[in-house]
Formats: sequence, C-alpha cells, structure tokens
Amino acid sequence: MSGGGEEVRPTFEGALAALDEVVRRLESGDVGLEEAVALFEEGQRHLAVCRERLAAAERRIEELTADELPRDPGAPPEAQPPF
Amino acid sequence: MKHVGRRAVWSLPEVTAAISRRFGDIPPVWVEAEVQNLRPAGGQVYFTLAGGDAMDASMNRIVYDRLEAKPGEGTLVQAYGRVEFWRQRSQVRMRVERLELAGEGLLRAQVEALRRLLTSEGLLAPARKRPLPVLPARIGLVTSGQGAAREDFLRALWSRFPAADVLLVDVPVQGEAAPAAVVRAVRHLDLHPEIEVIVVARGGGSLEDLMAFNSEAVCLAIAAARTPVVSAVGHERDVTLCDEVADVRVSTPTAAAAAVVPDAAALDRHLAQAGDRLSRQLAQARRVASERLAARAGALGQALRSRGVRAADRVDATHRRLAPALARLARGAPPRVEALGTALARAARARSVDAGRRLERADSLLALLSPDRTVARGYAIVRDAGSDRVIGAAASARPGQKLSIQMRDDRLPVEVRR
Repeated sequence: MSGGGEEVRPTFEGALAALDEVVRRLESGDVGLEEAVALFEEGQRHLAVCRERLAAAERRIEELTADELPRDPGAPPEAQPPF
Repeated sequence: MKHVGRRAVWSLPEVTAAISRRFGDIPPVWVEAEVQNLRPAGGQVYFTLAGGDAMDASMNRIVYDRLEAKPGEGTLVQAYGRVEFWRQRSQVRMRVERLELAGEGLLRAQVEALRRLLTSEGLLAPARKRPLPVLPARIGLVTSGQGAAREDFLRALWSRFPAADVLLVDVPVQGEAAPAAVVRAVRHLDLHPEIEVIVVARGGGSLEDLMAFNSEAVCLAIAAARTPVVSAVGHERDVTLCDEVADVRVSTPTAAAAAVVPDAAALDRHLAQAGDRLSRQLAQARRVASERLAARAGALGQALRSRGVRAADRVDATHRRLAPALARLARGAPPRVEALGTALARAARARSVDAGRRLERADSLLALLSPDRTVARGYAIVRDAGSDRVIGAAASARPGQKLSIQMRDDRLPVEVRR
C-alpha cells in the first residue's frame, strides 16, 4: 500500500492519492477494528496535509516583461541543448 | 529568304531561328509564381507558372525528383531558369533549373524539416511527456501582456481555482524578437524554484504569425525545461511544433487553465467526502467489532458452562462407577475443575478488556468528529426548525423560515427576515 511513509514534506498529489487509497482499503470491508483505527488516523493525516496545502494557496499575479528578465546568469551560449 | 516579285518571303525556320536568337539574349531569372497543371511526361515534368499572366515551364525529371520539398497544385514557388523559345511549335517556355517553395509553402517545408529533426532526436516521443502537478505552488505564464490569450487564461484559471498564483512573463508572440524572448521567458521560469508548471499561450493566427512557435530555439528550450510545459498556441487546426514538444497540448488558453489547476469546488467536495467516508468506516468497524465481542462473550460463557458441567458430570459418573475404590481420588477432582474454569474465565476477560480498549479508542475518535464537539468549541449549527435539516448556506434560507440555532447550552429559535 502507499502508506504514510513520506515523512519529508509530502506532495499534495501524494497525500491525495494516499488518502484515496486509505478510504478504498477501509471500504474494502476486510479490516479489523485495530487496523480501522490506524487507517482512520492515517487518513486524517493525509486529509490534513491536503487541507493545509489548499489553505496555503493564495491568489496572486506578478508580471514581468521579457526585457526585465535577468540575463541568463552565466548560462552557456544558446544552442547547448541535446544537439 | 527569296523574292517573289517585289516581295521578300521567309521560310518558317528562318523566322523562328531569328526569334530564338532574341530569346538567347535574355539572362536566366528568378520568378515567383504559382505552380499549376503539374504533369510528368517522359524525361520532363511540365507545369504552368501562373500569377497575373501565365507561362509554360518544364524541369528535368531527375532534378525535380530530387527536390527536398516538391510543390503541389497551387503552391507558390520561386523558379530559376532561362526563358526559351521552342521553335518546333513556336512556344515560349521557361526551362527551370532550380525550384524552391515560397510563402506559406516555404514555411510549411521549414516546419516539416524541423519536425523531422526533433523526431530523430526523440524530442517528440510520447515517453518524454511528464505528468502535470495536481496543485502547482506557482504557475509560470508566457504570453503577450495585451493578448486575449492572457485574459482568457486568467479568467478561466481563477474561476476554477480562485487561489492560483501566477508569474506572467510578457513577451512578443510574433515577429523577429518573439523566439528569443519566449526562450528567455521559458528558461527564467524553469529556473524559478516555486514554478511547478509553465504555460505558453497565444491565440490563433496565420502560419507566418505562429512561426515563433515553430522555431528551433523555442522547441529546444521547451524540450530542455525540467518544469512540465503546457502549450496552448493557435487554434485546434494549427498545430505548432511548440505544441508537439510540450508535455501537454491544449487547443485554447481556457483549456490550459483547466489542465493546470484542479476544480477547487470539486476538490473540496472530494476531501469532505473522503473525511465522511473515513468516519463512516471507522464507525462501521466499531459496530462490527462490538457485535463480535458480544457474540464471543456469549459463546465463551456457554462453552465455559458446558465444559464445567461436563466435567462435573464425568466426575459424578466416575464417582458412581468407581465409588468405593476411587472415593479418595474423586474428592480431589472438583478443585481441579474449578481451577480450569478460573483460567478460562481469566483469558476471556483479558481478551474482552483488550477489545473494549479498542472500542473506546474508536469512540473517542468518533466523538472528535461529532457536531457536539464543534458546538462545544463555541460554533453554532443552524437547522430548519421543522425538518431539523442543517442549513449550510445563507442562500438556502427562505424569508419567514423558522430556524433553530444549536449553541453550547441550548437551542435558540429564530425566524429569517430579509
């Protein structure tokens, strides 16, 4: 299963996927009470991560023109990519 | 030439040879015209060059077959060659030595050549496409500051997810300066640590208008970006190479918004439902466990009793049968039966206590979720006084409706006045 293993700053999609997985396992019906409690708590943790990320989002817009962009800091000249 | 009386009479070859010599004085030229009525015959390919006037033309078939980009019917070309006079039929015809596409045809040929290059480098491979983040911390937008694409994208973005955070780089989206500006914008956004997805957007236009997004520099910058890129350039029918090299291609700026942010309302609903389902399943597991515990406790008691009874019966029977001989032994049996019973009871109690603790844990978690808890913290719940249904939105309350506000100590009856 995709457990609560991601300790260091889980991603939103990671938490969302883990939450859905926990709900799915709980609803599969073959979990005992002990496991149900553990899954419930895990689900609450994932839910909290999702809610916290959503709450942290803030409507903003910053506009730059191409001329205002800093020159590529020491970037290699133009045609460096694959070929 | 001969004289018949006072009249000078020329043979036809003399005339055509004279005309042909004149044509020899015209140097080879480049002509821009449309190709029409293209038809191979023998070692030549014949066609008509048209544009205002028309002129027959021909080209050596071997040379024609080697052309990198062949013209189609109506294609604008630039043709280089000599205009000749064909004496046998007195026809004027351009003998074409070089033939190149011009105008849109030329642009299309350039796009095709670059597409072949990008394909051979594997940059258009589906396997390179990366998934987009579900909830990007910040969105990089490369578009014209004045364009409708900017407005369309932002409007759709914020209506779908009101808290979206955008860093917009205003670039020219057509003309000579466009490719370099788009490249710098993509690179800048790609290096920005908070930007988790880049959107390149431009409205529709002619092929010439869209050429910046068919340029090698822009395609390579997008291919090299570590941040996933969404391309919304042109309309449905004009697919640019920028679209093809990007991780996700959409046909409008509005669709780009839908691709980069989740629907906030749907996401809220999903999370709320997930929370409800978690609680429901915990309550269900608790119910099942407590029923099982009750059943087991009953069965244990039964087993215990019947075992005790059987043991006692056996002792009795033995006692009766072997009364005289085993009288002394039988006297020691009842305490052993008793000891066995006590051990069984102790084990059953330990298991019940264990299960009971788990039930308590589930109960306390469920209590945390109950509306009473919320009310105890100082919140209030508004219900319809008649049906007791919870009223979650002001909009769903009708004027004159009787409501009941559940507070920490009691319910307060009120009436809606608007």
